Amino acid sequence: MPDTDVETPPGPDIVSLGFESDGILRLSWARGVVIDAPNAQLAVDRVNEICQGRRAPLLIDMATTASVSRAARTVFAQPCDASAIALLGSSPVDRVLANFFLGVISSPVPTKFFTSNADAVRWLTSQGNDGG
Amino acid sequence: MTGAEDDRRFEELVDGIVVLSSGDLSNRLPVSPKRDGIDAVATGINLLAEELQSMYESLEARVAERTVLLEAAKAELRRVINTDELTGLASRSLLREKAAEAVAAAEGGRQPALILLDLDSFRLINDSLGAAAGDAVLKEAALRLSAAAGPPHVIARLGGDEFAVLVEDREPDSVLQIASRLSEALKDRIAAGGIALAVTAGIGVRFGEPGLDGEELIRDATIALHEAKKRGRDNTQVFSSAMHDAAKQRVHLVADLRTALVSEQLELEYQPIVDLRSGKIAGTEALIRWRHPTLGLLAPDAFLDAADEAGLTVEIGHWVLSRAIAQTGQWNAAPGLSRNFSTHVNLAPADLHHVDLAPYVQGLLGQHEVDPQQLSIEITETAIMRGGPEVAATMRSLKELGVAIEIDDFGTGYSSISYLRALPATQAKIDKSLIDGLATDGQQEQFVAAILQLIHSAGLVAVAEGIEHREQAEKLQQLNCEFAQGYFFSRPLPVADMTALLMGADGSAG
Repeated sequence: MPDTDVETPPGPDIVSLGFESDGILRLSWARGVVIDAPNAQLAVDRVNEICQGRRAPLLIDMATTASVSRAARTVFAQPCDASAIALLGSSPVDRVLANFFLGVISSPVPTKFFTSNADAVRWLTSQGNDGG
Repeated sequence: MTGAEDDRRFEELVDGIVVLSSGDLSNRLPVSPKRDGIDAVATGINLLAEELQSMYESLEARVAERTVLLEAAKAELRRVINTDELTGLASRSLLREKAAEAVAAAEGGRQPALILLDLDSFRLINDSLGAAAGDAVLKEAALRLSAAAGPPHVIARLGGDEFAVLVEDREPDSVLQIASRLSEALKDRIAAGGIALAVTAGIGVRFGEPGLDGEELIRDATIALHEAKKRGRDNTQVFSSAMHDAAKQRVHLVADLRTALVSEQLELEYQPIVDLRSGKIAGTEALIRWRHPTLGLLAPDAFLDAADEAGLTVEIGHWVLSRAIAQTGQWNAAPGLSRNFSTHVNLAPADLHHVDLAPYVQGLLGQHEVDPQQLSIEITETAIMRGGPEVAATMRSLKELGVAIEIDDFGTGYSSISYLRALPATQAKIDKSLIDGLATDGQQEQFVAAILQLIHSAGLVAVAEGIEHREQAEKLQQLNCEFAQGYFFSRPLPVADMTALLMGADGSAG
């Protein structure tokens, strides 16, 4: 089975995606979303679409994510235009999800979990933001 | 959050873990919108369960895939083991399996029979026309045997030029009919190596009998085949228990013979050869004897076939040569022999196939100070005729050394007169079978006279063997036969007696 799951069609699970003034690309998932492979692929495609080949630091707000499927994690393991990824959460659930994500896949770019938005932005900026 | 609420959630967590641990890895624990510590534990367990489930599934998929590959490899291996690559017939191992199955299936009923075939002179085809021609013959033979045997019999190639047909549920007569069909099927000429070859086969048949297992069936058919091959080309033999006893005896004899060679059980006796013109001893024939620890003194007829099977012929031939030449050297020293005295030694075709025979003889003659002309090598007419170029070359080398060559058992083979003249021989020994009726049968006398004339006209000297009566000796003398040996003059003697005879005043005999 398992490295594909197509139950959830790519839909309005991404609430917002866009560059902020500091040059960081911010992606926010819809509340309670289950990130499966199609969702993950949609996110990667959208990021690539926006970056247009320019490498940019990516901040993913996953505070309201219900779970990340195994298949989705393999999607995130492929290279995209993100130069570094900060995962932002607040609850113990976020921490487990994020660290599982970090532990299981070997991300092609520096990836780290934060509970503070400011820390996340600082870290991303220090990673050599070349997309601004 | 109340304590009771947390308790309920913990309860749910435990229930979920129980389901997971029972083996249902598809179960997921509920995660509440609170996203607190309990939810974090549930999330972690869900993620681990998913990971585990995924690993199991991929493992199972891999095992299933490998199992299919393994089964296919096993089937292929079985096919290879069970099939003769060249002909596509069953292999020896499949035949064994099928023979065992057939015996088991027959129970108390009609037992399976086995027909073994071995192509005659196949080595000659391979040696003279090449392996490709040999393979072509084997393939064609396989096709013909399959067609002749017909279904449902198992037809196998056991390796080399040996084939087998396992016949089930047939009366002995019917089995023999199949054997005859198989033999006939091979006889139409087979095209190979640019020529059309006539192929025959030796056939051994073993009828099944209750209590006989598959291995014994094959063993006995092999014994019968061996017997058929011994009797010449295109021969069929049905196994009998006497063959088995003989085979067993041969096996023992072969083992004993190896011991005999190293433990001095072999010895030579010497039969005097008399010059009929002078009545004096002109030489002696060395005859091998085996002083067997339990069977007593054995004549060569009793063990030379076994020696041949054991591949000991050449070793024994060398032993006889070395012993006979050493003894002649001793007689040269005492009592002293005439340079015309010759010691005759019998050699088998296998000895003459060895190119190193002449140098070996030369070495022995030098070592024991024996004149080459004091040695005479006896070779049967049949061995010379069938020997081919190696035997002819060895005979020439021996003659060049000065060693005399004598055609043994003359008159029993089919020498052509022109061939006789071309041989490097100097003597011919007339077989005992021709001498037997000499004194009593007038016609036989004429026949022997003709043979003697033939020998003389080829420039050879004649030695008659098997002389038992004075009349035979006198008749041969009248017919101008030069030499003779036989019980009338003396039976074969142990070394001491022969030496004593040679020490006699004038060496006269008879």
